[in-house]
Amino acid sequence: MSATTKIAVHSLADLKNTTDDALPVYLTHSPIHFTQTHTKSDVRLVLGYVAVLIAGALFWLDWKQGWTVSKPYTLPAVLVYFTLNSAFTYWIWAVEKGLIFEGVAKTGEKISIASSTKKHTPIYNLTVTITPKSGKPTCLTPAAPFSQWFTADGYFIAKPFQQWLCASIPLVGAQDPNNVVEDIGRGSVIEDAGASGVKTPGGRVRRKA
Amino acid sequence: MLNLSSLQPRQLAAQVLNFALVLSTAFMLWKGLSVAADSPSPIVVVLSGSMEPAFQRGDLLFLWNRGVDTQVGEIVVYNVKGKDIPIVHRVVRRFGGGEEPLQLLTKGDNNMADDVELYAKGQSLLNREEDVIGSVVGFIPFVGYVTILLSEYPWLKSVMLGIMGLTVVLQRE
Repeated sequence: MSATTKIAVHSLADLKNTTDDALPVYLTHSPIHFTQTHTKSDVRLVLGYVAVLIAGALFWLDWKQGWTVSKPYTLPAVLVYFTLNSAFTYWIWAVEKGLIFEGVAKTGEKISIASSTKKHTPIYNLTVTITPKSGKPTCLTPAAPFSQWFTADGYFIAKPFQQWLCASIPLVGAQDPNNVVEDIGRGSVIEDAGASGVKTPGGRVRRKA
Repeated sequence: MLNLSSLQPRQLAAQVLNFALVLSTAFMLWKGLSVAADSPSPIVVVLSGSMEPAFQRGDLLFLWNRGVDTQVGEIVVYNVKGKDIPIVHRVVRRFGGGEEPLQLLTKGDNNMADDVELYAKGQSLLNREEDVIGSVVGFIPFVGYVTILLSEYPWLKSVMLGIMGLTVVLQRE
């Protein structure tokens, strides 16, 4: 499950993207088996691709028929294109807000997880919203340093990341009780990974920068 | 950098979309400007020295095609039927106007003779409606030189487009 590609540990984007990609993988597989819903990302893709298709159609018409033919269609196409483009941007900033996972648990609770990082701060922040079948949604905001699940030379280690998720999100912990470890020593990931019997791919080869 | 083959279909679709949006936004801004200026080509680059010292090779010109009562002294850009390259020259005579179709005679400031030689066969004057794509309303010196390089060395185009595309597709900041 752990990604075997090596990343640059000083690149915050690499740290975040790798972690963002690993999270849905863990939550949708055994033993958690959340059912992932893609509604929001699908809406974003539809908005974007419809806009691109309109631009493509106008380009084709202009290319084949020239300005005199395409002129009457140009203003409407430009207006619709920029409306869709604004809706697309609005969707990313105001609706998705860093959403990386949305799904339903076997027990019926809805869960949505958004992630964020602050500039130049290697801390992974999650905003977890859990909506029970009936009742008000609860919101959790766990945060942890990336060093907890990345080795010094840039490999992602799934185990400590999963343990952190289980410990900080009770709904996840309930599905995977064996992974709930209350205190796993934040920040000292190599030792912890070793202690819980996880092989660190390439972890022994330390490279000096 | 990321490995494209390792992406989920939705992630791949999103990366491709990023690239497509960059290209389509540039194209649609251009088209928006075309509509505003009512000109098929609202920005052109000077390719020859025929308008020196007013314009040098590589100057970027902004065109406006609304208010078609063009006067003597205005600098216009026109297309000659059967030729691809638009020409930037100054209006030196005007005929007609009002009820009749406005016709213009143009000349390059740096040329010895007027443009009759350049017009299509049998044509001795430009038709304002049909031939002219706009009057020059502003310019930026020299920045258009890149396009001269691009048109004189066409392989540069592919190289530039390729680099742009790869950067957008492979970057996930």
